[in-house]
Amino acid sequence: MLLIRRFEEKVEERFRAGELPGFLHVAIGQEAIAVGVCKALEDGDVIASTHRAHGHTLAKGTHPNELMAELYGKVEGCSHGYGGSMHLYDVERGNLGANAVVGGGLPAITGAALAFKMRGEPRVAVAFFGDGATNIGTFHESLNLAQLWRVPAVFVCENNHYAESTPAAQQLPIEDLEQRAVAFGMTSIKVHGQDVEAVYRATKKALEHAREGKGPVFLLCETFRLTGHYVGDPQVYRPKEEVREVRAKQDPLPKLREKLGISDEDWDELDREVTELVEGSVEFAKAGTDPKPEDALKNVYA
Amino acid sequence: MANQVTLPRLGQGMESGTIVRWLKAEGDKVEKGEPLYELDTEKVTQEVESDASGVVLKILAGEGEEIEVGKPVAVIGEEGEEISSETDDSSEEGGSDGDGTAREVSDDEPKEEGDPAPKREGEREEGREARADSDGKPEQAKQAERVEQPEVSGRRVKASPLARRLAKERGLELSSLKGTGPEGRIVAEDVERAAAQPGWAAEAPASDEVEVVQLSSMRKTIARRMTEAWETPHFQIAMTVDMRAAMRLRELLLERTQEGATRPTFSDVLTKACAMALLRHRDMNAHFAGTEVHIFPTANIGIAVAVPHGLVVPVIRNCERKSIAELAAARVDLVERTRAGKLTQGDLEDGTFTISNLGMYGVDRFVAVLNPPQAGILAVGAIQERPVVEDGELVARPVMELTLSCDHRSVDGATASEFLGTVKAFLEEPGLML
Amino acid sequence: MPETTYREAIRDSMSEAMRRDDDVFIMGEDIAEMGGSMGVTQGMLEEFGPDRVRNTPISEMAIVGAGIGAAMQGMRPIVEIMYQDFTTLAMEQLVSQAAKHRYMSGGQLSVPLTVRTQGGAGWSPGAQHAQQLEAWFVHVPGLKVVFPSTPADAKGLLWSSIYDENPVMFFEHRTLYPIKGEVPDEIEPIELGKARIHREGEDVTVVATGRLVHESLAAADEAEEQGISVEVVDPRTLQPLDEETVVASVNKTSRCVVAHEAVVRMGWGAELAAVVQEQCFDYLDAPVERVGAKFTPIPFAPVMEEFVIPHKADVLEAILRTVERG
Repeated sequence: MLLIRRFEEKVEERFRAGELPGFLHVAIGQEAIAVGVCKALEDGDVIASTHRAHGHTLAKGTHPNELMAELYGKVEGCSHGYGGSMHLYDVERGNLGANAVVGGGLPAITGAALAFKMRGEPRVAVAFFGDGATNIGTFHESLNLAQLWRVPAVFVCENNHYAESTPAAQQLPIEDLEQRAVAFGMTSIKVHGQDVEAVYRATKKALEHAREGKGPVFLLCETFRLTGHYVGDPQVYRPKEEVREVRAKQDPLPKLREKLGISDEDWDELDREVTELVEGSVEFAKAGTDPKPEDALKNVYA
Repeated sequence: MANQVTLPRLGQGMESGTIVRWLKAEGDKVEKGEPLYELDTEKVTQEVESDASGVVLKILAGEGEEIEVGKPVAVIGEEGEEISSETDDSSEEGGSDGDGTAREVSDDEPKEEGDPAPKREGEREEGREARADSDGKPEQAKQAERVEQPEVSGRRVKASPLARRLAKERGLELSSLKGTGPEGRIVAEDVERAAAQPGWAAEAPASDEVEVVQLSSMRKTIARRMTEAWETPHFQIAMTVDMRAAMRLRELLLERTQEGATRPTFSDVLTKACAMALLRHRDMNAHFAGTEVHIFPTANIGIAVAVPHGLVVPVIRNCERKSIAELAAARVDLVERTRAGKLTQGDLEDGTFTISNLGMYGVDRFVAVLNPPQAGILAVGAIQERPVVEDGELVARPVMELTLSCDHRSVDGATASEFLGTVKAFLEEPGLML
Repeated sequence: MPETTYREAIRDSMSEAMRRDDDVFIMGEDIAEMGGSMGVTQGMLEEFGPDRVRNTPISEMAIVGAGIGAAMQGMRPIVEIMYQDFTTLAMEQLVSQAAKHRYMSGGQLSVPLTVRTQGGAGWSPGAQHAQQLEAWFVHVPGLKVVFPSTPADAKGLLWSSIYDENPVMFFEHRTLYPIKGEVPDEIEPIELGKARIHREGEDVTVVATGRLVHESLAAADEAEEQGISVEVVDPRTLQPLDEETVVASVNKTSRCVVAHEAVVRMGWGAELAAVVQEQCFDYLDAPVERVGAKFTPIPFAPVMEEFVIPHKADVLEAILRTVERG
């Protein structure tokens, strides 16, 4: 989690320095979900993520070097420079890709789960998405179909109460998102997303359910975004007190630290380790190879 | 170690900002992530967080001051630390576009999210150049090599659709033209150029070889004489003649022409008018002879006759003494004998003036090349209905353009103009020839 | 050689693939007991069972997306979209997901998905059940587009589509389902990206797809009577396009007509005309003619529908225009 936090902070810094092209969406504040879910997965399980994918990608095992290199658009990046922040893939490690289209990756997770079921494999497909995505067509169609066919999928909803700049009240006609699952007759679990252990336990339950052939699970994680939607977002749509309060009270890192009773020294040591790793990743990325312009013509067709 | 805090680029299009209010003062402690100052950009006022923890050692930018992105605004470090001129990584590379790199991105729809990353502009440049260098052809679609037409169907001339049409209109054979377009394609220009060349219409050559035509002796003579003529300093004057009277005269004469006799034409009327004018302006009826000018007592007018691959100018003698009917008969006789190849040397000698008429080809006007040593040559265009102003009114009249070329060594502008004016007067009022 | 219908040829191709390969399965609306609204999957449920011949709810996005997901896991799903008008409902998945996963991942993934769909006017289906949208997909890098016009082509091309590692849009033409043709018993895969010359000729090349292949062949017969020798080429695959065959043909004949049922404006014919214009410029004696539907949605009333969609007569007129007799 600390790794994700420091990584994301570094990403913000490098973006402001004008080194990172494109869009960046950092997961500061939502680390516990990424870590809690991914640590519960077994080998062979797959994930698909959203535009806010760095946390999931790191938690699923991609080395920060490869991730940073991808953000810098280098050949050494996990998508070899073709994807960028919103199209991070690490197929070997079970990461089927971040997706820039809200809800875009959900149907494929239903499909992956279908494949596991048809082949009799004990694998589970896990999708990450936000509360905003519960409005889009692919969400409804994917969960509907997944439940109908009882495929081994877990749909992880990171409810941070904002869809980009739009607060929940303006985009959700219901308050309790578990009701979304009820519409499909799907089992749901709700968990406090800032508590990494709770997320881990809930995920384990969900995976078991799916693996046992009982069908997909809607895993609703209540969380908070500690920064803006994108790097540089001044969050003019969010009351300042809310941001302050959330930062003060809902940061999963201090929560975990307190829970584990980590001493100042140990924490600093950890921080140093992680920071070194992150800074190393920037160096690695900067020293990386730029793709040749003509590389753009490759990989269009298999 | 002291950290220089620089103004960050917070969004696409942001070039500078104004610090509205410092939230920390020099000497204050600050944590990384804590709001450090309030910044006013073009779009919004927002709090900017500190990138480092420590003590605010120095504030470098004042409230209300507009700062460029990337420029330092403060220094944060350990308490009591010396502020050196050391700068950290980010300030050197701080998103400053102070190096003047123009940002290519258009700002008309200011998007908040994302950034082309000005530091990566060089790569974008590289990508653009590589694209410009690559073949103009689409990369993805499987490139069919330009399939050469199979031998079986025979050769095909490469010509643009426009060139084909023009060639057709001009009656030119494509295969006789040389193409200057891509891959030797014949383009419109090539057709225009070929059409503009004087001389005979292009015939399709029998083979692909360049055809070599030996000059006939006539051609050689013409070539020599034309070269001589070109060396003569000459000038041209032109006049437009209202041909109504001449046409009436011709009709009258036709009425009186007997069966079997030669029918007089406008050329004959013109020949007569020129002959009479030449005797009035004797300087025009002359030869230039180096240090002398020979002025002749009679007008022997040469009539240019086109023959295959050439031009012959047989002479009608004593034109001023002949009636128009007689001139017509003489003309016809000469033309027949010319075409039959039965001209004598006498037919070609002693010409004092030449008339060349291209009116039957639809030519408006032209400049004839002098026939040395003659002082002048008259070029005649077609008679055409043209709009003409008479008494302030616009009317249609049959007019003909005459262009007189003169040897400037023997004749001056005034003489030439008077002569031509007389010819015109005679044509417009034949009674004056009496 | 035995004769089967276009419909049967498609069924046989799929069935054979499913017999040999557990990874091949088919999903779509009403494809199980009903055998598909066009009857293509008739009998397949009995042979392969409901797992592999899966009826789906009406959720084009999810169906296509599920196909994508399964394909990414190495299966070879065939998704049937009942009418190509409904591909619009799944456009995001087809265009932004299926077509791009391989590229965005830098080559880590492939999506060997086959999407079969059909269309075709001439029976008053109305504007929303009669569109011909193949051009849209040719425009998307990452997708392949196939459009067979005969039973043998359908069988061989579908096989190759299923076994292609890329997402393939396989367009069938409704009016061709019942046509019969000689089809090899054994599977003879036809390589994607190879055109077929149906008829050789000297004076004009007609490049046609789908139903218009047959209209063009009939028009060619009539043209023959007028002394015009017509070559009819069916590209069969629209992406990738067999430019070589088309260019060689037009270079030989100097005239080109492209015919399809889709609307002329921005139809696939526009691309073909551009290719021909670029590559055959010095060999063209006439502008490239395009035959297709008029620029309207397909009307319901038969008299109006027939006015809008192209027929043999339109192809013949275009042929005549190219030889300056039209």
